[in-house]
Amino acid sequence: MSLDYVKFTPGFGKFMPKEYRDMVEHGPFGKKVSVSQVGTFKEILEEHPMCAGCAMTLFIRLAMVAFPNPEDTITVGTAGCGRLAISQAAIPFVYGNYGDQNGVASGLTRGLRLRFGDKPKDVVVMAGDGGMADIGFAQTLHSWFRKEKFTTIMLDNEVYGNTGGQESGMTNRNQVLKMAPLGKKFEKMDMLGMAKVAGCAYVATVVPNNPRRVESVIKKAVLVAREIGPSYIQAYTSCNIEYAIPTDKVLEDAKTVETDRYKFTEYITDEAKEYLSQLYGYKEYLPKPAAAVEKQ
Amino acid sequence: MYLVANIDTEICAATSCKLCTQYCPEANTILYDNEAGQDKGLKYGAAYVAVDRCKGCAQCVWVCDNMAKHNAIKMEMIDQIGDTALTENVTYGEKTSSAVLANPVRGQG
Repeated sequence: MSLDYVKFTPGFGKFMPKEYRDMVEHGPFGKKVSVSQVGTFKEILEEHPMCAGCAMTLFIRLAMVAFPNPEDTITVGTAGCGRLAISQAAIPFVYGNYGDQNGVASGLTRGLRLRFGDKPKDVVVMAGDGGMADIGFAQTLHSWFRKEKFTTIMLDNEVYGNTGGQESGMTNRNQVLKMAPLGKKFEKMDMLGMAKVAGCAYVATVVPNNPRRVESVIKKAVLVAREIGPSYIQAYTSCNIEYAIPTDKVLEDAKTVETDRYKFTEYITDEAKEYLSQLYGYKEYLPKPAAAVEKQ
Repeated sequence: MYLVANIDTEICAATSCKLCTQYCPEANTILYDNEAGQDKGLKYGAAYVAVDRCKGCAQCVWVCDNMAKHNAIKMEMIDQIGDTALTENVTYGEKTSSAVLANPVRGQG
């Protein structure tokens, strides 16, 4: 959990694969990189077996670029498509049993704080809608109620994409899927509302057709989770297989869905605003000057 | 054979929008060379594709055609693309990357 763990053991560098050498020499560790610089440095995400054109992959890639301190970050995931990519990155990945990811992350966060004290070590949970809103629902909500300081990111593809297209709690009402031929009978779960009620300090929805916004949201969520409290990001990451979206139309679909029902929203507590503006220079959260009182 | 993305350097180096590098779902696949096109007197660098990592989804084509409106990217058959970038020939530098072009099928320039 430091810059040293990505370096070569002296004398072994020349035996390492090219990708590894590039990562050590030209990766984002110890530097400030942004989404606008991708293509000019070695990204921490490597090759992975996710489908061509998957929006979830795009979101995970952008999230990995956006981590404020990748050398001090651990990702936690669970069963689902996302873990196929998240685990193929040059940062530690912990696999929680299906639905256990927020429980695992709670222990991990507490352990890291005991071991490293105030030195920030970021824990980021990235799991699908099934792992988070259905099977891991209790652990997710309880971690928020306990005010565990880590970031939770839901990769919301609105279906169990990995197992053939069953409906999840996050599927929209009346949606017909391969394994839900009569259409879903219930509404999509309001995880955003529950995150606010449970006490998350930062809650946002985002769609990956705006990379800079994804970057900004991830950075804020991770920073808020260091000191203030739990943060939650819900990202629309369509499943182009189960929803039959041609791969070259995935971003068009993201744009349509963003306009229609997945608009960018951001909820942030006053305490988190003050923290971000004072420690990290977020000017948009500085207190607004009082409006000039009109002369009587 | 299969399709991979191919970027027209001359069109790309005239604009430098870098949108395709941000929207590609695959990491380390669409890379950016700050000095590409300078020998031809073009203003900016250009993006290029490490074709061994390209899965052929064509999202970059949609982004280039519809968001950037530059029409610089086309999907082409891997054996008809000519010399192109491969991951093993990519070199990273200070805020840029570049590749020695090679034939993706025969593996030589």
